[in-house]
Amino acid sequence: MASRRRMLLKVIILGDSGYVNRKFSNQYKATIGADFLTKEVQFDDRLFTLQIWDTAGQERFQSLGVAFYRGADCCVLVHDVNVMKSFDNLNNWREEFLIQASPSDPENFPFVVLGNKVDVDGGNSRVVSEKKAKAWCASKGNIPYFETSAKEGFNVDAAFECIARNALKNEPEEEM
Amino acid sequence: MIADGVEDEEKWLAAGIAGLQQNAFYMHRALDSNNLRDALKYSAQMLSELRTSRLSPHKYYELYMRAFDELRKLEMFFKEETRRGCSIVDLYELVQHAGNILPRLYLLCTVGSVYIKSKEAPAKDVLKDLVEMCRGIQHPVRGLFLRSYLAQVSRDKLPDIGSEYEGDADTVVDAVEFVLQNFTEMNKLWVRMQHQGPAREKEKREKERSELRDLVGKNLHVLSQIEGIDLDMYKETVLPRVLEQVVNCKDEIAQYYLMDCIIQVFPDEYHLQTLDVLLGAFPQLQPTVDIKTVLSRLMERLSNYAASSADVLPEFLQVEAFSKLNNAIGKVIEAQPDMPILGVITLYSSLLTFTLHVHPDRLDYADQVLGACVKKLCGKEKLEDKKATKQIVALLSAPLDKYNDIVTALKLSNYPRVMEYLDSETNKVMATVIIQSIMKNKTRISTADRVEALFELIKGLIKDLDDAFHDEVDEDDFKEEQNSVARLIQLLHSDDPEEMFKIICTVRKHILGGGPKRLPFTVPPLVFSSLKLVRQLQGQEENPFGEEESTTPKKIFQVLNQTVETLSNIPAPELALQLFLQCAEAANDCDLEPVAYEFFTQAYILYEEEISDSRAQVTAIHLIIGTLQRMHVFGVENRDTLTHKATGYSAKLLKKPDQCRAVYACSHLFWVDDQDNVKDGERVLLCLKRALRIANAAQQMSNAARGSAGSVTLFVEILNKYLYFFEKGNPQITVAAIQSLIELITTEMHSDSSTPDPAADAFFASTLRYMEFQKQKGGAMGEKYEPIKV
Repeated sequence: MASRRRMLLKVIILGDSGYVNRKFSNQYKATIGADFLTKEVQFDDRLFTLQIWDTAGQERFQSLGVAFYRGADCCVLVHDVNVMKSFDNLNNWREEFLIQASPSDPENFPFVVLGNKVDVDGGNSRVVSEKKAKAWCASKGNIPYFETSAKEGFNVDAAFECIARNALKNEPEEEM
Repeated sequence: MIADGVEDEEKWLAAGIAGLQQNAFYMHRALDSNNLRDALKYSAQMLSELRTSRLSPHKYYELYMRAFDELRKLEMFFKEETRRGCSIVDLYELVQHAGNILPRLYLLCTVGSVYIKSKEAPAKDVLKDLVEMCRGIQHPVRGLFLRSYLAQVSRDKLPDIGSEYEGDADTVVDAVEFVLQNFTEMNKLWVRMQHQGPAREKEKREKERSELRDLVGKNLHVLSQIEGIDLDMYKETVLPRVLEQVVNCKDEIAQYYLMDCIIQVFPDEYHLQTLDVLLGAFPQLQPTVDIKTVLSRLMERLSNYAASSADVLPEFLQVEAFSKLNNAIGKVIEAQPDMPILGVITLYSSLLTFTLHVHPDRLDYADQVLGACVKKLCGKEKLEDKKATKQIVALLSAPLDKYNDIVTALKLSNYPRVMEYLDSETNKVMATVIIQSIMKNKTRISTADRVEALFELIKGLIKDLDDAFHDEVDEDDFKEEQNSVARLIQLLHSDDPEEMFKIICTVRKHILGGGPKRLPFTVPPLVFSSLKLVRQLQGQEENPFGEEESTTPKKIFQVLNQTVETLSNIPAPELALQLFLQCAEAANDCDLEPVAYEFFTQAYILYEEEISDSRAQVTAIHLIIGTLQRMHVFGVENRDTLTHKATGYSAKLLKKPDQCRAVYACSHLFWVDDQDNVKDGERVLLCLKRALRIANAAQQMSNAARGSAGSVTLFVEILNKYLYFFEKGNPQITVAAIQSLIELITTEMHSDSSTPDPAADAFFASTLRYMEFQKQKGGAMGEKYEPIKV
């Protein structure tokens, strides 16, 4: 019964700013270390437990390094569609992840990209277009792309289901 | 030795991972076959690897993370077991049979997490039990990781408002109590590390502590995420309890780090509403704590908050944030007498930024901050510390950035007093910043008093400060900074002539001390500024009030004369000559003959006595001729003297072609279109004939020296002058004279000794074409040209 391990998926969220903990307030609160949360996702009549590591994006509060990347089933790259630099940095985050987590098949490691905060200012302050983000995703081996608003909850469930499906595709081989 | 240590550590880590993976493998098998007993046995053995004392925190974390991931699988298994009917209470009991305490506690926390989820017991009871049990581990590194495991697995199970684990009304209090207790215990473990082990390993220990710090700080982050903590609870419980722990631990590293954490993890409005309490902790910290950095970050946060929206500003006023911060800084500086000056300036710089954001209308606050800074600076020598001076530049730039207006900054009485403490290099940097601000914002500086204050501020650029033993100043840098001063002088303007004259005198007073290297940059803009004023006055009729003291062109010219004279002493005679000629022209427009004559005299003296380079002479003489030609103020006598001199200079130039050109240019001095009394055809002809003779001589010299005649260009140029005066109706210029000149040129061009010169040929050809054109145009001009055979 190998399915138990398949029900438990480790997801790393990377980007210039954290994702999950921005749920309630726009106010700036620093994250210390990585924020750890679990989330249950149901699809295909099965219940999956995602263990989510949301990073701080603040080097000052990463004193122990990023050993928690290891063993991830999926990496979610988040950018703020209102901040160009956060999009520009996606590539750095992707590379940093592949170096630190050293997955066995980096070419096919599942990533998901989220363009977050699409709700801000009714979309008027947006600087990263959907087209631009999708083009980047296509160039990196067709990474799935979602536009979300963590604050409004827009598209978040769809994104997490995709994250779970992607993580499943790449079930890590049995260790040892 | 150290390298060995690192290698050994790698080995130990590898061994630990191998042991962990082996037991994980058996654990997986047990999980797959639903064998609870084996699952517990192998997971406990797996966790035994975490009992090591040989790994640095970084390496230990790697091992811990692998165990963490494995424990998630075990947790799922426990969950399934309970669904299959196994009692969670029994499981909670069962795991406590593990033989060793560390694995036992990890297992207990893991089951505890499922226990809370099952809701078979109130979350607070389970949490309380777990946080108490963890006291069993007193080894700092192992204890910190165990407790951080507890913090992580309980993170989303706290009985917070709106959470599914919420019980009665007091549940948030339970959650807070749990996290605070874990925090307190972790901080104790962390601080105790400092005092364990030999003194010689202090550095290594501090490095390890620094790696571990986020485990402790994590608890504060968890607190900040608890929704149920409202402002009251934060004020009454959370902040005082956290600060109590921070102050009482008396540990420098912990105090610095945790104060920073508090500031960064909790929201701005909480900080604002608890400023007294938070700031009250600072003077109680160890004297070695780097308070300036932490406090500056607090002010930076609050400044950003204030800048984010005007709606929040009343909050700042209501809590009197400025005076509280100001007091706190004063107390901290008092409590830390050894604080380096850099720290003091950094603090005041942050406070200034804060007040500029929050109280843009309260200039007195800004001045107060600068004044406090001066008080700390006084009695000290000028600053040598590079970082400190840089910080002062930041401090002084803040008001400029905020107001975009130096005029406002000039109102700050302490502003120049702070600048006094800069070394001359930094003084210059600051002066440049000020000038750039003025340029960028096109600030109007329109009174002499302000100009005086401004030049006092930027004096580092205006003159050598006394202490400046000039190190090699980069030539380009110097030019750039002086050019910026020049631009600044051009910008100073008042519409009121009286005030403008005062401004000019003020600037003059300051720049005259600038020395020979600066004057060539600073005098010209001042001269042109003054001439602008002259032209403004000249438009008006006589001063309506006829007051003696009022500004008149005459008075300005006097000042100008003295100003330009300083250049001839430097010496910069060519520049001085140009400026004298400019002045002469302006005096001409004001109908001030004696003044204009005086300026010409000055220019001539310079020409005779100071300008010896032949190239410079050529340039100068053409300027003289050009200017003199336009003068209409001179009577016959003065004009004669000046033109006579000019032709004399022209004929004495060194090179024949230069002589020739200067002499034919002089012809214009005797024939001015709009002046009927200057139409002396005879002397025009004399000039041109003289030019021809010189051109001939030039040809002969060329023949003698090089064996070939020079180009005919000079002749063609003279021909053009003939045509000019011919058209103007000068009776001395006859058809015959033109005809013979054309023939002369044609002959020269075809002579054997002539050097081919396509440019001259083309010039001649187009001159002939022009004449042909004039002929065919008909009318009076056509008739005039008719007799000439081309």
